[in-house]
Amino acid sequence: MYRLRRLWVQLRTEVLVLPSRALVLAWALVLLALPLAYTDAYVLRILTLMCLFAIFAASWDLLAGYSGQVNFGHALFFGAGAYASALLTLKLGMPPWLTVFAGTAVAALLGVAVGALCLRLRGSYLSLATLAFPLIAIGLLFAFPDFSGGELGFSGLPRLINGVVPNYYLAVVTMLVLVFSLWLLADSKFGLVLHAIRDDEVAARASGINTPRYKVMVFAIAAACAGLAGGLLAHYMRVTGPFTLETALSFQVVIWGIFGGVATIYGPVVAVFILYPVTEWFGGFQAFGERRLLLFGVIVLLVLLYMPRGLAPWVRDRIETLCPRCKQRSAAWKSHCRHCSAALAPTDRPRASGPGQA
Amino acid sequence: MLRALLLIAALAAAPVVHAQGTIKIAVLGPMAFVQGQHHWMGAEMARDEINKAGGIAVGGRKMMLELVRADTNEILSVPDASSAVERVITRDKVDYIVGGFRTEAVLAMQEVAMDHKKLFLGVGAAHDELGMRVERDHNRYKYWFRVSPTKATDLGRTIFGVLGAVAGSIRTELKAETPKVAIVAEKAVWTEGLVKAAQANLPKMKMEVVGLWQPSAVATDVTAELSAIERAGADIVFTFVSGPVGIALGRQMGERNMKAVAFGINVEAQKDEFWGAAAGKANFVSTLDTYSEIEITPKTIAWVRAFRDRFKVSPAYTAATYDAIMLIRTAIEQAKSTKSDDLVPVLEKISYVGNGAVIEFDKRHDPIWGPGKAMGIGVQWQDGKKVAFWPPQVKGVQPFRLPSR
Repeated sequence: MYRLRRLWVQLRTEVLVLPSRALVLAWALVLLALPLAYTDAYVLRILTLMCLFAIFAASWDLLAGYSGQVNFGHALFFGAGAYASALLTLKLGMPPWLTVFAGTAVAALLGVAVGALCLRLRGSYLSLATLAFPLIAIGLLFAFPDFSGGELGFSGLPRLINGVVPNYYLAVVTMLVLVFSLWLLADSKFGLVLHAIRDDEVAARASGINTPRYKVMVFAIAAACAGLAGGLLAHYMRVTGPFTLETALSFQVVIWGIFGGVATIYGPVVAVFILYPVTEWFGGFQAFGERRLLLFGVIVLLVLLYMPRGLAPWVRDRIETLCPRCKQRSAAWKSHCRHCSAALAPTDRPRASGPGQA
Repeated sequence: MLRALLLIAALAAAPVVHAQGTIKIAVLGPMAFVQGQHHWMGAEMARDEINKAGGIAVGGRKMMLELVRADTNEILSVPDASSAVERVITRDKVDYIVGGFRTEAVLAMQEVAMDHKKLFLGVGAAHDELGMRVERDHNRYKYWFRVSPTKATDLGRTIFGVLGAVAGSIRTELKAETPKVAIVAEKAVWTEGLVKAAQANLPKMKMEVVGLWQPSAVATDVTAELSAIERAGADIVFTFVSGPVGIALGRQMGERNMKAVAFGINVEAQKDEFWGAAAGKANFVSTLDTYSEIEITPKTIAWVRAFRDRFKVSPAYTAATYDAIMLIRTAIEQAKSTKSDDLVPVLEKISYVGNGAVIEFDKRHDPIWGPGKAMGIGVQWQDGKKVAFWPPQVKGVQPFRLPSR
């Protein structure tokens, strides 16, 4: 009873006081409760895929948004998780529950390797270098088709769990846990260090921060999350192949990140939950079917034109206000800060802005 | 009076009894690409023909056919393709699926269809693995049948069969006992196996491989390659090209008045627009193809003409959705049932005369390859017209021609 009361107090004072957090809570509850009321297999399939891509997108944001290591080849980690899990399942007969985590570990190791190799690179040089890695991986797959399955990859993978609803819950719970964990990580001291590295790495090093270590660590964490998403996707679809490493997927995750808002973690998740179903929905209409990519491009352009920092920060700025004194956020309709009671004048309220204002 | 009214009511009800219900078939393909467009065209022809004839007879009643067009976006996204299958099955409630093109995507699409135990007639993907799954796990994958093309291994058998005929022409006309062959394969994964097979088989077929040239699939100039091929004294340019390089190859061979003749797989040369794209210089360029106005079966000529009259283009091999739908109709009428489980045993034993082949399925549910069954054809551009020259026993084929020397 005490714990329940404490939970309720925490909910009331930490979550429900801020519209953005209340919205996230409502969204999570809707996701968890959906199959109780609605069991359409197609909708649950799309949501399952969205959850897996949301993990992938959030992992990119931790790397690119928070630490400034803008990765144009993030599909490498997604594909590594998928391939490693598939290989271990099919070639060694290991149970898929184990291989998914093994795939995650392989992706994390690759993250360490890529992070270490790119330590001296910054900005566009880093981005271009990372773009090369999945292309090299595809080249290797095609060079050793007997081992890698070549252009077809692997098929007939066992599912982790059978049934539409159990698969949905597996994806939703994994996504919620991982995204929340990434958000906590980004909001911790670790996240602050990443901000410092992104804003001025020389200054961060001068302050005594071991920046190479942090950069390699963030590569490993982001790669592990992307690898887990890749492994889960491979077993869900029962196939994996070069499509998990394609450049298009690497750029897709960049689009999700920028559309939703970088350095937020939840921004790319919002982007996946808007853009993926919209393009899928267009595909269901004969009139739109073949033009859906064009429509997708128009939507992304419009959002970036009118919301240059991304959709999620734009919405948050309209429903919350930043306190000029303590820099904490309060609901936009409040006249005083919830922390320091400073007046929040409606006319000259500064917008909650800047990455990392979680 | 009452009797008369009852009689009128019974007569009015009669057509309703005989034409009730609808059978829904999903046509899946990359609809933004020519392959998907031909999937849809072939299916439309089948639907209109069936519905014009009153529908499909299921036991004592006739059911009309409805098509659901679904863009799989499979060339760009495999997850999109599998979601499209889920959508047509669970949302559109289709009874059967036809189509698919990119093997990597079709493997994922196959999984979804098999989960729902839906009959899926593949038209487009050639990889052997699709059929091998049926052999390995018949209980799960028995709902998959490949209508067109023949599996990749059989495509290889066809291409070497036609190459043998081309080499025969050269031996006869040029008195060259060991024709020299230059292999031109675009740099792509799909050509690797074929190149290896060619390098291994051609010497056994009493042909000499004078070299391998691998331009980019999008190359617009192959002068360097053709100069080297001329210097090597090649009689045959054995092509494996799917991209625009096929046009450059044909045009520049004509511009150089090359004595060698091109044969192989040239996807661009299969299209009606090829002659114009090659500036009318691609005489004698030949390739494997699926349809032409020759009597591959008794239905071929009339169907190809009807297709051209309606859509103003020649049918591509993915237009075999027509045959796939007609196969489903035949199976339904024989089984007197619309359940996929009832249709599988009928399809496994069927012998269906289609537009491009006589279709019978083997234990992998692949079309049986061989003369009089499913093989494909060889076509050659001759003075602006694409004419079929192979298989030789088929009525309507014309002689293969060599450049004058």
